[in-house]
Amino acid sequence: MIAVLRSEWLKLRTTSIPWLLSIIALVITGLLILLYFVNKGSNGGPHDHATFGPPTPDIPHTTQQLRNLLGTSVGIYVFALLLGVLIITVEFRHKTVTTSFLTTPHRTRFVGGKVLIAVITGAALGVIVLAGTLLIGGITLSAKGGSFSSLVHQLGAVAPGLILVYALMAVLGVGVGSLLTNQVAAIIVCLGWFLILENIIGGIWNGTVKWLPSGAAAAASNVSSGRNDVGLFNWWQGSLLILVYGLVFAALGSILLARRDIT
Amino acid sequence: MTSAIEVRGLGKQFGSVRAVDDLTFEVAQGRVTGFLGPNGSGKTTSLRMLLGLVSISQGTATFGGKRYVELDHPVRHVGAALEATSFHPTRRAEDHLKTVALASGIPKARVAETLELVGLTEVARRRVGKFSLGMRQRLQLATALLGDPEILILDEPANGLDPQGIQWLRTFIRGQAAEGHAVLVSSHLLAEVEETVDDVVIISQGKLVLQTTLADLASQTGSGTGMRIRTPELTRLAGVLNAVPVGWRQTGPDTLVIDGATPEWFGHFAAQHQIILYELIQEKGSLEDVFLQLTTGFDAPHPVGPMPGGPA
Repeated sequence: MIAVLRSEWLKLRTTSIPWLLSIIALVITGLLILLYFVNKGSNGGPHDHATFGPPTPDIPHTTQQLRNLLGTSVGIYVFALLLGVLIITVEFRHKTVTTSFLTTPHRTRFVGGKVLIAVITGAALGVIVLAGTLLIGGITLSAKGGSFSSLVHQLGAVAPGLILVYALMAVLGVGVGSLLTNQVAAIIVCLGWFLILENIIGGIWNGTVKWLPSGAAAAASNVSSGRNDVGLFNWWQGSLLILVYGLVFAALGSILLARRDIT
Repeated sequence: MTSAIEVRGLGKQFGSVRAVDDLTFEVAQGRVTGFLGPNGSGKTTSLRMLLGLVSISQGTATFGGKRYVELDHPVRHVGAALEATSFHPTRRAEDHLKTVALASGIPKARVAETLELVGLTEVARRRVGKFSLGMRQRLQLATALLGDPEILILDEPANGLDPQGIQWLRTFIRGQAAEGHAVLVSSHLLAEVEETVDDVVIISQGKLVLQTTLADLASQTGSGTGMRIRTPELTRLAGVLNAVPVGWRQTGPDTLVIDGATPEWFGHFAAQHQIILYELIQEKGSLEDVFLQLTTGFDAPHPVGPMPGGPA
């Protein structure tokens, strides 16, 4: 298993995928944090209007506000999803899948290797965006007179869930990619889902939010989803839900892939 | 001698198209087998079925009795260089080989060794996107050789190689066979592999036409050939030829072809009748002619010849 992981990591790091995605995810996280402060931290949870003592109300200070700030990147879980998608579809795009299947003729084992590397690099991407959030968010917060240490204090509540969400979303991405091996098609489906469909579905039927990837991701990392949080699941239910989505897709993808002729 | 590769009744149906039909052949250890047929005759599909890349509709394809997917770390037993395989453009040649080596438990030292073997040591750290077709072909070969396999499958390996490269490839393939390895090499040109192969498997329209030794195929080149004569006295020659039991046909205003006679006999015959000759040429059919004749025109498979070396 270690050998498979090392091989998969070598494959991945010799493409531009992990580096490019990390940079874009960091930049967008930074922009979202600045936006958060411009909006005076008002996208927070139920304690938004609590006004007790200094610091001033436009600086995030309640537990939920701080958690939402730290969890900024949960809202862009799509980058972990894309990481997973690219990990597998890049093999088809550049036809390296022939060599991969000659090396690992069991297709399920091939998908398994991709799931493994997705878990690890997905988690790593979570750590990277979280570190970026802590840095950018912490500096901005301190500059505005907020408490950096209180932000750090919430790390324990947000970090494990967020990293888990990123790892699991990458697995879901591998699942989607194994079903839709055409890279462009898979990316369009993921972005279309993230940017359009999820918002429409969540907007029309509030009750479905907790079942959606964004709702499950928010639940898993103790962060508000930014919508009407109608009865989100708790953290482990949310995590489990994403994992189930990922494994169902990966299993379906494996079955389809096993029948596929590589010509 | 046991067969390295055994193909029995192999068939592939793509929708309504029968790409490969009831294909049966064997590849012997220590010999080079040419897998020949025109473009689109089902060579690549057959090879990809052997290697588990394309699903098999009928029949079996095994390596020492095992299907490719059943082999433990298959690249250490069967090395394959297939057409239309590609590389990730930003990956360095060395790293491409390392991904295979890592996944198959092949020592890292073998990577440098194989690069050296195919003459790519100097570009080991170069990204494959910058490689020429010939260099890619060499890297493909390096990938096949990485696991030091006892069986090699090469799909049109000469494509993109320069003449020196082709010469090198021939020597290399012979060397592999000399070490006791089995080599199956496909080509749409018999001439390309004529100097390399011991045995030939010829297919056409997905069906086996003939499996035999190259020597046996070469012995068939005598048939259907004759002696070409050019003479200013064609009419007089035709007249005297009609008096002897020799077949002939006119092929041009001053040329004719004679069958069933030797140049020695005809030399005397012409001198006896005092006929002026400009040319006397004994024509020989080339292997390529035989190949062309076998792969066009014939839809029904020929009876399969005995395996060279015979069954164990």
